[in-house]
Amino acid sequence: MNYLGRRLIRTVLLLVGVSVLCFLFTEMAPGSFFDDMRVNPQISPETIAMLRSHYGLDQPLIVRYGRWVKSALHADLGYSIAYNVPVAPLLWGRAQNTLLLSVTAMLLTWLIAVPLGVWTAARRGKALDKTTSIGVSLLVAIPEVVIAVALLAIAVRWRVLPIGGMKSEDLDGLPLWVRIKDIAEHMLLPVIVLTLVDSALVVRHVRAAVLEILEAPFVQATRGFGISRSRVLFRHVLPAAANPAISLFGLSLAGLLSGSLLVEVICGWPGLGPLILDATLSRDFYMVVGGIMVSTIFMLGGNLIADIVLTVIDPRIRTGAPDAL
Amino acid sequence: MRFKTKLLVAALVVVHFVLLFAGFIAPYDPAEQNRVLPYAPPSRLHFRDASGFHLRPFVYGLKLDLDGFTEDKNQVFPIHIFVRASRYKLLGFFETNWHLLGVSGSGRLVLLGTDGFGRDEFSRVLHGGQISVAAGIVATFDALLVGMMLGMLAGYYGGWVDESLMGAAELFLSLPWLYFLLGVRAFLPLHVSPARTFLLLTCVIGLIGWARPARLVRGIVASARSRNHVLAARGFGASDFYLLRRHIFPEIYGVLLTQATVLIPRYIAAEVALSFLGLGVNEPVASWGNMLSTLQQYSVLVSYAWLLAPACALVVTSVIYSLLADCLHSQLKFQSS
Amino acid sequence: MKLITNLALLVCLHAALCFAVIAPETPSAGEELDRAADVSGHSGGHLTIGERAEPKTLNPVIATDAVSREVIGRMMADLVEINRATQQTQPALAKSWKIAPDGRAFTLQLRKGIRFSDGHPFDADDVVFSFKVYMDENVDSPQRDLLIVDGKPLTVTKLDQYTVQFTLPRPYAAAERIFDGLAMLPKHLLEKPYHEGKFAQAWSLNAAASEVAGLGPFRLKQYVPGQRVVLERNPYYWRVDRDNHRLPYLDELVFLFVGTEDAQVMRFEAGETNLVSRLSSENYNLLTRERARTNAQLADLGPSLEYNFLVFNQNDLSSKKLDATAQRQKWFRALKFRQAVSAAVDRDAIVRLVYGTRGSALWGNVGPGNKLWSNTSIPHPSPSLDTARQLLKSAGFSWNQSGQLLDASGQQVEFSIVISSSNTQRMKMATLLQDDLSHLGMQVHLVPLEFRALIDRVFQSLDYDAAIMGLGGGDADPNPEMNVWMSNGTSHLWNLGETQPATAWEREIDQLMQQQMITLDYAKRKQLYDRVQSLISENLPFIFLATPNVLAAADPRVGNFHPATLDPCTLWNVDELYVRGSVEIAGAR
Repeated sequence: MNYLGRRLIRTVLLLVGVSVLCFLFTEMAPGSFFDDMRVNPQISPETIAMLRSHYGLDQPLIVRYGRWVKSALHADLGYSIAYNVPVAPLLWGRAQNTLLLSVTAMLLTWLIAVPLGVWTAARRGKALDKTTSIGVSLLVAIPEVVIAVALLAIAVRWRVLPIGGMKSEDLDGLPLWVRIKDIAEHMLLPVIVLTLVDSALVVRHVRAAVLEILEAPFVQATRGFGISRSRVLFRHVLPAAANPAISLFGLSLAGLLSGSLLVEVICGWPGLGPLILDATLSRDFYMVVGGIMVSTIFMLGGNLIADIVLTVIDPRIRTGAPDAL
Repeated sequence: MRFKTKLLVAALVVVHFVLLFAGFIAPYDPAEQNRVLPYAPPSRLHFRDASGFHLRPFVYGLKLDLDGFTEDKNQVFPIHIFVRASRYKLLGFFETNWHLLGVSGSGRLVLLGTDGFGRDEFSRVLHGGQISVAAGIVATFDALLVGMMLGMLAGYYGGWVDESLMGAAELFLSLPWLYFLLGVRAFLPLHVSPARTFLLLTCVIGLIGWARPARLVRGIVASARSRNHVLAARGFGASDFYLLRRHIFPEIYGVLLTQATVLIPRYIAAEVALSFLGLGVNEPVASWGNMLSTLQQYSVLVSYAWLLAPACALVVTSVIYSLLADCLHSQLKFQSS
Repeated sequence: MKLITNLALLVCLHAALCFAVIAPETPSAGEELDRAADVSGHSGGHLTIGERAEPKTLNPVIATDAVSREVIGRMMADLVEINRATQQTQPALAKSWKIAPDGRAFTLQLRKGIRFSDGHPFDADDVVFSFKVYMDENVDSPQRDLLIVDGKPLTVTKLDQYTVQFTLPRPYAAAERIFDGLAMLPKHLLEKPYHEGKFAQAWSLNAAASEVAGLGPFRLKQYVPGQRVVLERNPYYWRVDRDNHRLPYLDELVFLFVGTEDAQVMRFEAGETNLVSRLSSENYNLLTRERARTNAQLADLGPSLEYNFLVFNQNDLSSKKLDATAQRQKWFRALKFRQAVSAAVDRDAIVRLVYGTRGSALWGNVGPGNKLWSNTSIPHPSPSLDTARQLLKSAGFSWNQSGQLLDASGQQVEFSIVISSSNTQRMKMATLLQDDLSHLGMQVHLVPLEFRALIDRVFQSLDYDAAIMGLGGGDADPNPEMNVWMSNGTSHLWNLGETQPATAWEREIDQLMQQQMITLDYAKRKQLYDRVQSLISENLPFIFLATPNVLAAADPRVGNFHPATLDPCTLWNVDELYVRGSVEIAGAR
């Protein structure tokens, strides 16, 4: 379809734009990886200069960008200066950990938030709706950082959960269910934080969307025909409310890799977030660029998938009606 | 609904009023250090002493020993209203030294305790609120101004103007700005006063955020421009600018207001996050963000709970804005249907 | 039935795990082992340590970050080691050495019959190979500069299978201290990558355990990315205890990557880690309060060797377009201005409020923690605003109506101090300093910068007024600090890139430092270095502030816990650490 074709081209252009900006910003940031050594009186500037040229950091930016693009097309994202290994496998290993966390959180969020949003919309004004509203407003207002630190402090005080890391030691010989249970224990804290924060937003949006549809004439008509409340909800209202929900789902997908950065850092989960943050602070050039590109691909990919699904489902998009959100 | 909105707006006005008059309400200068009273707990107000009940509350002096601070019952400091203390500029230009509350002599009235340098936490929360909330408002203003202008252009003219502007918007939304913001402070020149640093930072935060409002505005303008009354006005020979100002702007007014109430708490939180990481407003100027950054240390978080006051203030302000945004949003829907 | 067989399997697996620890090889006749006469304990158990960051590599030649070096250091051994408790050198892989009378030639006798952790024998070929790699320009080891004296590298010759001779281009005081930290590499494993030019990629974190071998007390067992490194006992380790049992006592050593100091403390409190070092005073006090419940062993080792200071930009800015800063340098270059600043600083408040009284004020670069080299006759004046004001007045400064300080030409004294935003202690010092200087009428702006941005300004662009930084802590000996105090040194922060000493006292320091470097007698070196310290504290190129105490803690079950002031604080005697009480089953908690 023409619309999708244009979206695809836009996405590719965006990727190129992000990669250029990435390179520019990382280069413009003052300092380089070897500044740690500068402070050490026992290392000479000649050694530092030699190390810089060893890693190609003294070549002009355009040359480096060109070489990076060429190798990126072969899925080679360059070398990490800090670890001295290729960037791509390093990123992939950590990305898997992040995905495990965020996919679990996303599933939980949607399992909880969609029914909750629909229920509170259906029972609008009643006790459930009021308490949920207050809870949601609070959760949206409190910054994610505060929630994560508060829960962490509770976990430390009461020693209920392991703090940080993904697996305990010495589990290699033990059966699968023990290992899964162990990972689940480690995952509980960050997943709770992410679910709390995300579900508040989803509940809000689903509730608003359902409320809007509930007031539409065609729904009033179904009630007039005597169709039961639940059938109305699930057969007629939900599909109509799908549009904003799918956009939101797309946003969730987009944020799979990048949304959990703060939580990973605070809870000590060995994902992509802490790796890229550390790389940014230590100016590990190709790791920063590689990490940001991978996050961006996910983000744009998520948006694109949402767009495709929406185009298939909702004919209004195809005709170019204004944005609903 | 209308009553709830009015209530929330009133709450907001009260909060902002208190922050505006921070200099008067706060008993001390926020930068005034007291190196013998670090991490002192909040002052306990007493009404009853050996000679019976007093209408005027008082505080005892503090003594530091091995276990922390204890009250010295020999030193009694009654609380007075309208005292003369440190000088400050009310509302930015009216210099005075009147304060709402205070104690005389060597007493300290620390309603929310002190921080690691012995500075009064209550005064700092008030003055810090000025900075943080102002940062939120200024950044929101920037974002909405730029977003509105670009969104109107994109929505009204359509075509390649629309495509390129929306493409730029998507680029801005896709970049992980957290990483780049870490480095932004380093680019600013060193020899700027804290006030200018603050302004520059908030401008940067705001300018990054134009994309989402722009998209919203664009959507509305795009649908509004094909409305009958606009087409009729165009038929009468109205210029683009007149159409935008007279017919289209009223449509987006509601959305902008709602967006403002959504964005302000978000930008306050952004300033808090930046200052939390040490890259926002500098010492000795207080802001909720740099006050909370001391809580990054677990030992401080666990031992000196009164330092969480800025977090509570932040949550309260955000909740009020958030609830107001909800009300405005539903009111808008009600009006447009 | 199935349940029972499963349970039985579980028990068997668990039991197998228990016995799967590596037992030390019994000492054989041909080995020349180092006997630690005052060390005793019993075998078994494991210890877990939390690290604030992840190691980046296991390659001792290219590793630069502290965590990598800490992990690698437990797997490697050096020819001569500095005993962190006494701060003196002691024999390690070299059982003895002779210094030629001219101080240039070192002949070391290696221990016979020692083997690497994979069983391969160690001899002089490995030593020669190791030094060849360290000094190779294509390998780019940061440690290469340690082996270059006067621009010329030292030479290594093999005299026989267990004797090596080092020749320095000129005499170098305390030369044997150089050997500490230069790990001896296994030629049989690393020669191939070296000849193929791929040395930097060898021993990365992905390396298999069989590829990595060293002479340290532990060897690599497992690396889990992002989470931990597990080391197991080296069965061929060359040290034995008082009863001739081979060290180390521990079966396993686990390094857990926990992220921040607070996470370290939290995990320690939760019992997940057994050792913590480099604690801040707040965390130390927290652990002290909990001691009644946990019985943790806490150690306050007194002042560290690190020194924090305020440095004013006195660089030659004529080639840069930094006119505003150049104007301000008139003030910075005036000795009386710096003396006034130093007189106004309330160092006691810094020690109390920043270090929670667990620290020491500094007036010179060598603090009380360095007992061997500290010049105790340097004056320690208390803060005095009157003295400061008098100094400023005599330098031509004055005050206006509102109490602001003006220089001789009437310009208001206003400048900025850059600090690393990630170092909370220096940020606090800066806040206190700002307040102190405001009493003198100086308007000081604090600018927190991200660490690398700070380094860029101080070393490269020179675009700053003043900075608060910290140096030192590596070794007690003056030689590693040469580059800070020599006028052409690369860490001569206040005036980088001097071709000639800018002042008479800098010239004198140059001469004194050169001389102490080639003087072999300690008493004479001390005299020379004392004079250097006096000159520094009189002329104030740095305004010294304070140093923290070294604080460490251990689980009550850790035996032979003797932390030291020098790094690695708690792990320098890791081969002697043991776990009290019953033998720990690996994995059980």
